[in-house]
Amino acid sequence: MNATLQSLFKGFAQNGIIFAVTLLLAIPLGLIITFGSMSKFKPLKWLTKTFVWIIRGTPLMLQIFVVLYAPGLLFEFPMRSRMTAVLVAFIINYAAYFSEIYRGGIESIPKGQYEAGQVLGMTKSQVFFKVVLFQVVKRIMPPMSNEVITLVKDTSLARVAGVMEIIMSAERFTKQGLIWPLFSTGLYFLIFNGILTLLFGYIEKKLDYYRG
Amino acid sequence: MAILEVKNLKKSFGKTSVLKDVSFSMQRGEVVSIIGSSGSGKTTLLRCINFLEKADSGKIILDGDIIFDGAATKQFTAAEIRQKQLNFGFVFQSFNLFPQYNVLDNVLLAPKLLAKERCTGVQEREAAYKEIEKKAKALLEKAGLDGKLGNYPCELSGGQQQRVAICRALVQGPKIMLFDEPTSALDPEITNEVLKVIKSLADEDMTMIIVTHEMTFAKNISDRVIFMDKGVIAEEGAPDELFTNPKSDRLKEFLSNVRM
Repeated sequence: MNATLQSLFKGFAQNGIIFAVTLLLAIPLGLIITFGSMSKFKPLKWLTKTFVWIIRGTPLMLQIFVVLYAPGLLFEFPMRSRMTAVLVAFIINYAAYFSEIYRGGIESIPKGQYEAGQVLGMTKSQVFFKVVLFQVVKRIMPPMSNEVITLVKDTSLARVAGVMEIIMSAERFTKQGLIWPLFSTGLYFLIFNGILTLLFGYIEKKLDYYRG
Repeated sequence: MAILEVKNLKKSFGKTSVLKDVSFSMQRGEVVSIIGSSGSGKTTLLRCINFLEKADSGKIILDGDIIFDGAATKQFTAAEIRQKQLNFGFVFQSFNLFPQYNVLDNVLLAPKLLAKERCTGVQEREAAYKEIEKKAKALLEKAGLDGKLGNYPCELSGGQQQRVAICRALVQGPKIMLFDEPTSALDPEITNEVLKVIKSLADEDMTMIIVTHEMTFAKNISDRVIFMDKGVIAEEGAPDELFTNPKSDRLKEFLSNVRM
């Protein structure tokens, strides 16, 4: 029992790493993709839009396989670490989704906010970082919490690359006739997502000090 | 010498010609109201003066400096346009306060950023910040908002929000204040509190251009009224003359349709 639990925890630690690293890197990378897809320079805009279309339009599982095998098969530069391959696929995939959420948030800010900043002598970047960004953060919090909760569950896809995440490590016990470890993995996800839900609720409440 | 001269200004949006050769000038301390029906080009004229829109041709001369020349081949850089915009204080119809900042910070944000750029040392910057804060508080107090410094825009009435917006524009020390229908989004009841603030500026000889639908106010506050129709200045003159004795048929028609 103790050994079983320990191996489940070890598995879930892998899920936690994928979750944390993906979030940490996909959040800023998504912003860069947003700037690309909102660029006035048409080729960049269409290139970015095509990229987002491909990433959002194909299964994450397939993307993990591509990152895992393509470097070795196409460029004779095999992926050293399975975990790295998984992380790269996750970061790119989630950055694409985040970028669309950001874009929606940025485009929902009234033009008057930009104009007010402009007539007060603020530079474009000052207007973005001092005026617009915070309002965007507030507005995108609900869709972001959705996406982040999905990410927690998606981390179980890492098993297709052979990363020993929690469901994969629990499945082994079924061969010994033990079924509860597999079913119990649901609890890990539930509890983790429960904490995230509370956290997002807290952030939304904090940001609710103003309307608009 | 005129503080502002607008010469042959033209502006089209696509195929729609909004300003067709508009020229006027104003003296320091003069209050000019622009009236006219919707779509006559009043707001576009104001926005062209302040570079929120780029005019297609014509000239704008501020205090002897050409700040816009449609015939010039050289484009102004963003930094140059920014510098020019600071000559003007602009007040929007929809206030456009920054919702996440309280009243005081709304007024302080832009001048503090400017001070940060201009000052080199920490001490110099702190001194500049103090000066700005003093000025902002004095302006807000004069606008009757001293009890609201810590409030957020969503906690204020429309009239209070617009008064904050006026202070925010004034704190930069503009040469000319531009008002774009400052009371159009307000209840008639609270319109007066905003008009009172604008009136107090006129009493201090602030140079102002006011695009407005408040005819009585325009009549009382202005040194001169410009009536715009279909992208041109159809008539201009002293308010008493213009309102009581309109010459053009179009102005007669306009005045008979609006409530005084």
